Amino acid sequence: MISRTPFSAPSIFNVKKRLYLVFAVMMLAPLCIMSRLVYLQLFRHDEYAAKAERAIYNSLAEDRKRGGIYDVNGRVWAQSVRTHACGVVKKYVKDKEATLSFLSNTLNIPRKQLEEKWRTSGNFFYAAKKIKPAVYMELAQVLRTPLGQGLDLTPEYERLHPVGESALDIIGAANSKNVGLSGIEQMYNEEMTQHIGKKRARHSGRGEMIYDRSLKDTVNVGNIYLTLDQTAQFYTERALRHAVEQVHPQHAVALVQDPNTGHLLAAASYPVKDGQSLAFQFTYEPGSTFKSLAVATALNSGTLSKGDSIYMENRHWEVAKGFTIRDKQHNKDYLTLAEILQLSSNIGAGKIAVEIGAKTLFSYLKDFGFGSKTDINFNGESKGSLSAYTNWTKVDLATKGYGYGVAVTPIQLITAYSAIANGGKLMQPHLVDRIEYTSGKVEKLAKPVEIRRVLSNETAQTMRELLQTVVEEGSGKRAQIKGYNVAGKTGTAEKLQEGGYGQRRHVVSFAGMVPATRPELVILVILDNPDVYAFGSTAAAPVFKEIAEPLLVLKGIAPDRTDF
Amino acid sequence: MKKGILILIVAGVGVWLFLITSINLGVLRSGRQVSQLQNEVSIKEARNQYEEVEIARLSSPQRVITFAREQLGLVEEKPHEVVVLEETK
Repeated sequence: MISRTPFSAPSIFNVKKRLYLVFAVMMLAPLCIMSRLVYLQLFRHDEYAAKAERAIYNSLAEDRKRGGIYDVNGRVWAQSVRTHACGVVKKYVKDKEATLSFLSNTLNIPRKQLEEKWRTSGNFFYAAKKIKPAVYMELAQVLRTPLGQGLDLTPEYERLHPVGESALDIIGAANSKNVGLSGIEQMYNEEMTQHIGKKRARHSGRGEMIYDRSLKDTVNVGNIYLTLDQTAQFYTERALRHAVEQVHPQHAVALVQDPNTGHLLAAASYPVKDGQSLAFQFTYEPGSTFKSLAVATALNSGTLSKGDSIYMENRHWEVAKGFTIRDKQHNKDYLTLAEILQLSSNIGAGKIAVEIGAKTLFSYLKDFGFGSKTDINFNGESKGSLSAYTNWTKVDLATKGYGYGVAVTPIQLITAYSAIANGGKLMQPHLVDRIEYTSGKVEKLAKPVEIRRVLSNETAQTMRELLQTVVEEGSGKRAQIKGYNVAGKTGTAEKLQEGGYGQRRHVVSFAGMVPATRPELVILVILDNPDVYAFGSTAAAPVFKEIAEPLLVLKGIAPDRTDF
Repeated sequence: MKKGILILIVAGVGVWLFLITSINLGVLRSGRQVSQLQNEVSIKEARNQYEEVEIARLSSPQRVITFAREQLGLVEEKPHEVVVLEETK
């Protein structure tokens, strides 16, 4: 007898189990996908969201709003105007001939030029940029018609300067994407711009962009208000231009500063380059305009007093063996401090520097701000050059007294003269007055800040009196202004070149203040390497006068003389 | 019974899909309208900006002074010719 065990299929043939197995296999793929999705969503969300954003909003990501640049009174210096660029996506264009004809007529571009672009480009090319609103309207109207298929109008900006090149060296440049490239435009780029590219947009089937920007988008950009006054800037640039036409310098700078606040009222450079202001970047040996600072140091440190005289060594002073300083402009045996400044005596200034001593002179020059940046916050500002006094020889010390062996920037020198003008306080110079955001917030940047006291009030007043005699009786006569006391100092420095100082290459300058009894304007004029023979007294002092006269009217500064 | 439920589910899904599509189309249409309006606003803003720049150009010191001198024959005053009235309290 055969015993049979009841039939039981191997477990693999069990239907239920087979079904579970199939189900499990079928669920494997969705599970993988789901787990991957969960992973992407939880751990790599930001990365992929950014990628998607870039892909969708590619052309909009560059859309930025940009604030304007204004003078202290709110006059426009630079403003962005929204324009458009017209692109052509070739694969979406239905009728090439009709589209190109339309573009040629509307944009006023030769048909051949468009055909050339079509032929030489890939799938996309720009037919035109900086399209003005009227033309844009014509283009926008055909966008949803077959003629406009494949046309893409993307926003871009044109930075306009309604007063032309005025202060362009300070303001700088911004590109069509509203990004600052130089000058104030670059330095305050962050405060001035806001991305408004966070819009939803998609390409329709016809290649047209459909924007879906949130209506709650608020624009908050900063408008920069400079301390410069557009009218003062005009007068300063005009005067400098006249000087350039007369003596043809290689470079020229004119600065106007309010000595009581440190605010720059005008800053003109020649030649004008976007964002490269010579006021902060030009360095030079100041020559005789530096003598005022040596005399001020001598008075303030007690080395000399106002009535002292200096022996002139027969106008032939051998400072050290092989180095002699000569005065050819006078034949006096002794000069008072006033005469040293009036006649611009190198021997006098050199001997004063030696009398002061290297350590004290160095300390005062540092206190006046030489050898350091002024922190006016302008890209590329130079700090000049003032070597450590421990390395100075007697010759170095003497020559520093009359402005050689030291390199200064115009902003440093005018700020030092402002200290003489305002009673001895070195004020922080300012170029940007405030930032006004469209949200209403105002950030005041140009609060008057006294960095330190360099001279006593008495010394500063004595210096003003001495410098006043320079304009009344000395080399600065051409800076005289009817009705006003003017104080100032001329400078004619030989330029260092290969083989030493060249008599044919000069920097001529004038630094002065008006009204001398209570200065409200300090003006510095520098003409570098004029191609005609010129002096500070003949070329720079008249520029001071030409700038000062209209500014006295503009600012309503009353005369301080009655004998006119 | 089962068939009825199935029909109900299919109908429900159909209605749901219809609603989703309609809403999507509505959103798209609104987006297009918003886009159109925003374009118009942008154009008007741009025109306004051009006008502002033109005003700034026409009222710039350079133009005003040149116009006053050349067209009106005016001359610039010297500072001593101006009477400055000091503000008193």
